[in-house]
Amino acid sequence: MAPTTRQEDSGSPSPPTLKTPGRGARRVRRAFQVVVAAVLLVLFLFPFYWVVITSLNHTNQVLQFPPSFLPHWVFQNYARAWSEAPWLRYFLNTIFIALVTTLLVLVTSILAGFAFGSLRFPGKNLIFAGFLSIMMVPYVVLIIPDYIVLKDLHWLNTYWAQIFPFAGSVFGIFLLRQFFLSLPLELWEAAQIDGASRFRFLRQVALPSARPALVTIGIYTFLGTWNSFLWPFIMTSSPSVQPIEVGLSTFLGTNGTDWTGLSAAVVFTTLPVMVLFLLLQREFMAGASAATGGVKG
Amino acid sequence: MSQNPSAQFVRRRMREYFTAYLYLTPSGLVFLVFTLLPALFVLYISLFNWNFLNESLSRWVGLGNYRDLVTSGQFWHSLLITAYFLIGTVPVGVILALVIAMFLMDQVPGRALVRLAVFAPYVTPVVATSIIWLWIFNPEYGLLNALLHLLHLPELGWLQSPHWALIGIIIFTLWHSLGFSVIIFLAGLSGISTELREASRIDGATRLQELRHVVWPLLSPITLFVLVISTIGALQAFTQFYTMTAGGPLASTTTTSYLLYTLAFIFYNTGHAAALAVILFLIIGGLTLVQMGVSRRRTFYQ
Repeated sequence: MAPTTRQEDSGSPSPPTLKTPGRGARRVRRAFQVVVAAVLLVLFLFPFYWVVITSLNHTNQVLQFPPSFLPHWVFQNYARAWSEAPWLRYFLNTIFIALVTTLLVLVTSILAGFAFGSLRFPGKNLIFAGFLSIMMVPYVVLIIPDYIVLKDLHWLNTYWAQIFPFAGSVFGIFLLRQFFLSLPLELWEAAQIDGASRFRFLRQVALPSARPALVTIGIYTFLGTWNSFLWPFIMTSSPSVQPIEVGLSTFLGTNGTDWTGLSAAVVFTTLPVMVLFLLLQREFMAGASAATGGVKG
Repeated sequence: MSQNPSAQFVRRRMREYFTAYLYLTPSGLVFLVFTLLPALFVLYISLFNWNFLNESLSRWVGLGNYRDLVTSGQFWHSLLITAYFLIGTVPVGVILALVIAMFLMDQVPGRALVRLAVFAPYVTPVVATSIIWLWIFNPEYGLLNALLHLLHLPELGWLQSPHWALIGIIIFTLWHSLGFSVIIFLAGLSGISTELREASRIDGATRLQELRHVVWPLLSPITLFVLVISTIGALQAFTQFYTMTAGGPLASTTTTSYLLYTLAFIFYNTGHAAALAVILFLIIGGLTLVQMGVSRRRTFYQ
């Protein structure tokens, strides 16, 4: 799956156009492009700007007409919003759930991906087809039976209800299988001559070169867990185990008309995801296009 | 003491089999316990008048739950709302995403920044971003109505109006998830050889002809992938409906997925909800099969 990373990099082909349009036409074209680019920037970024502005104004400044488009650096909204819900707890819950889920997904995907990609065993194709068919079962369909399963396990309202159902990933297994399939057989033969076990080969030779695939699986699992709502919303009931987005939705229910406080809460709950995205934007986009690799078959 | 080579070979083979099954066990168990068996379980539940509090009091009703559903107005109404939502997000989203991706393929000023901006909503949580739009759509103090007021247009009730609520949610959904399709299209477009596009331009093709005769046919597998993925996503959309309208006003935003939630977890009508889940399962599973079939053709085609 590594090529998708490179494919993304080649996203800007700039061949010299042979049929050069006239200078004036080019200038018009350029102006048009600048306008469209600016419109897109405003459409997609303005809501983020707007929530920050709202969070930094007094309530009366927010409710006036015409509204204020500049911040007045009112930080009380943040203090008020922060004090009205157990945010720290929500944050710690989310980080714990997201980290453990990501770790488990990586481990289970590496093991199964290695088995499908590099080992021979009877029933391989059948089992692989079975794993792929898991993808066909939609999330909303599982809510009811899984609720009953988790109830019978006495796992409702725990961390485990939010971790174990997501500890396996077909996408992750598929991505790593493709990677292991592309490993040259000589590598394993050479390792065998050196007396390496399969596990040592996996750990010391195969995994280090699987890094791009592991990063893709890791960040998307982490992000998916951080952003998830419906599942924890149904499966948990107390703030002591609930993640941040469920906490935010509870806050919306209790403080729904406090727009400045609500905006502050949106800002501080979204900031970690935003920072992560900005730091790893290249990997995020490469990962999204790797998703198409998931259906190449 | 020396073993004969074939016995050693067999032993090594057996060890390889054992390792493989061992490595498949962790994910296999997760899929079995939380996906495969529950999928069968929901089918089973759908045949009962399921007692949520005491499962032993559940009563067999056969296909009764399904019959109740297809004879209820609620079910068909939710399908209609889902269809509106699908039309508003899927074809519109695919076209917008393709246009934006084509635009970004040119040497546009600030290309990287625009790409980042378009993708940013997709990675931010739906609860948080839908609250931002809840505020923008606010009929009394929201920005959108202020804008309409400035333009001397009539102000709208948006999410509080049965006519506009679904449109508001569609606007939010497009804004939130367009970035994913754009990135997929960009990857697809960069896979199309630039020589081919160049050649068509040298032959005097306009941009529109280039799109129709060169880009579109070569891109069609990607387009289908985006169509199916976004249809499956739209069929399962829940969060924005919960935070922005809670299915209202007057059930004008109660999609089938939202109806499933209310039946199961508000009215504890587990049997009917399970039957609804099975119906959704059939629709979504069918779509996934179509997508898999097409992607197989694609590898052949390349």
